[in-house]
Amino acid sequence: MINRYIYAVTQKLPQAQREDIAEELRGLIEDMLEARVQGRKVTDKDVEAVLVALGNPKHLAQKYRGTKKYLIGPELFDAYILVLKIVLISIAVSMGVGFVIQIILNPISILDHFIDFIVSFVTVIPMAFGWTTFGFAIGEYSKGIHSKDLQMDKEWKVSDLAPIPDKKRQIKRGESITGIIFYVLFIVIFAFSSEYFGIWVFHEEFSGVVPFLNEETYGSYLFFIILIFGFGIIKECLKLIFGKWTMKLVIYTSIVNLVSMIAILFMVNGPAFWNPDFMLELTQAGFLTEGSEAFRTVSGVWEQSTSWILILLVFGLIWDAADGFLKVRKK
Amino acid sequence: MSKANEHLDKLMQELRRGTITIGVLSQLSEPQYGYSLVTELSEKGIHVEPGTLYPLLRRLEKQGLLDSKWDTNESRPRKYYLLSETGKEVFDLLVVEWRSIVQSLNLVIENKGDEKVGDD
Repeated sequence: MINRYIYAVTQKLPQAQREDIAEELRGLIEDMLEARVQGRKVTDKDVEAVLVALGNPKHLAQKYRGTKKYLIGPELFDAYILVLKIVLISIAVSMGVGFVIQIILNPISILDHFIDFIVSFVTVIPMAFGWTTFGFAIGEYSKGIHSKDLQMDKEWKVSDLAPIPDKKRQIKRGESITGIIFYVLFIVIFAFSSEYFGIWVFHEEFSGVVPFLNEETYGSYLFFIILIFGFGIIKECLKLIFGKWTMKLVIYTSIVNLVSMIAILFMVNGPAFWNPDFMLELTQAGFLTEGSEAFRTVSGVWEQSTSWILILLVFGLIWDAADGFLKVRKK
Repeated sequence: MSKANEHLDKLMQELRRGTITIGVLSQLSEPQYGYSLVTELSEKGIHVEPGTLYPLLRRLEKQGLLDSKWDTNESRPRKYYLLSETGKEVFDLLVVEWRSIVQSLNLVIENKGDEKVGDD
């Protein structure tokens, strides 16, 4: 019985300490028994009483270990909850939008869509939860190794205090989080349902899409598209971390903007990015008749769309940087 | 009344946690093994569970406040603990702090008592 108790305690302890603690525990139990029987013969009942007095071996082992009993510590907890919220909301929104689109396009099999929706909800949400927690737990664990070194030079001065951010320079968390959610949503849409990206044709009911993009080459562009939205997420994360507009943040976001702009430039100008039969398909779908006024207008817009998109992009990105810069300068 | 007892239990746990360390350090200017410490402390009115004391001794040793040695000459091998040089220093400093806490708390408690008597 004593051996079993000692085993139960020590098997939960690090190998290096096991023998020493086992021996010490055995001595303790024998001492306790001796004190109890006062020279009379030891019975099983005595042993039982002593072990019960020592308490649950699990608890005793825990006291010996004395290590932390949490997965994610108080220092990381705020960040963990924030990221978890963003991840879960992004997924829920993306899936909800996907569900709505499916219903619009194919309202007859609504029950199937609903079942799909529930199934993916039940599988994807716990998975996202698990991976986020897993990531943070690893962060906690690796930080635990260095925590002593980190705390050594934690001399704190009053001058370290961050100034209370100016209302005008402050970045609202909600805005960044909404931004991230939208980027995720776009990634999901572009990755899984790019075929819906175009002009929707309804003859009584939904009967197809005239796509903007060239479906044959789309696969090779998908990487760039995800990359561009990924950069958007990085930008929003930077804003979240900084929490207010500073010169550094403006520079960082400008760099990120520039990189994504180059990626877009590369993509839109690449061969066969747009659907080459767009005008033809539009005509076939019955939207336009060839040679009409409307046809010429749409055709003109379509042919110049690349340059228009680029102009809009450049304008948007410059605006973004200038806006940040102005906010920094505001007193 | 049971609610008050619940609160009391929790608060006493917190209160004891630190005082047990002082109690243990006070007894280790001579080498002692774990169980002799339990009986000695309980004779002096400080009740410590062996399940609490043994891990505590190890922790204090790891922190460098105690030295330990196995004695295998007796009928059964025992691990003896003794204050290290650092341990002695720390204990002396702790005693000074403890006295000042007791003094201040007594003052606070007694002042409050006076007020109450006046109110009643």
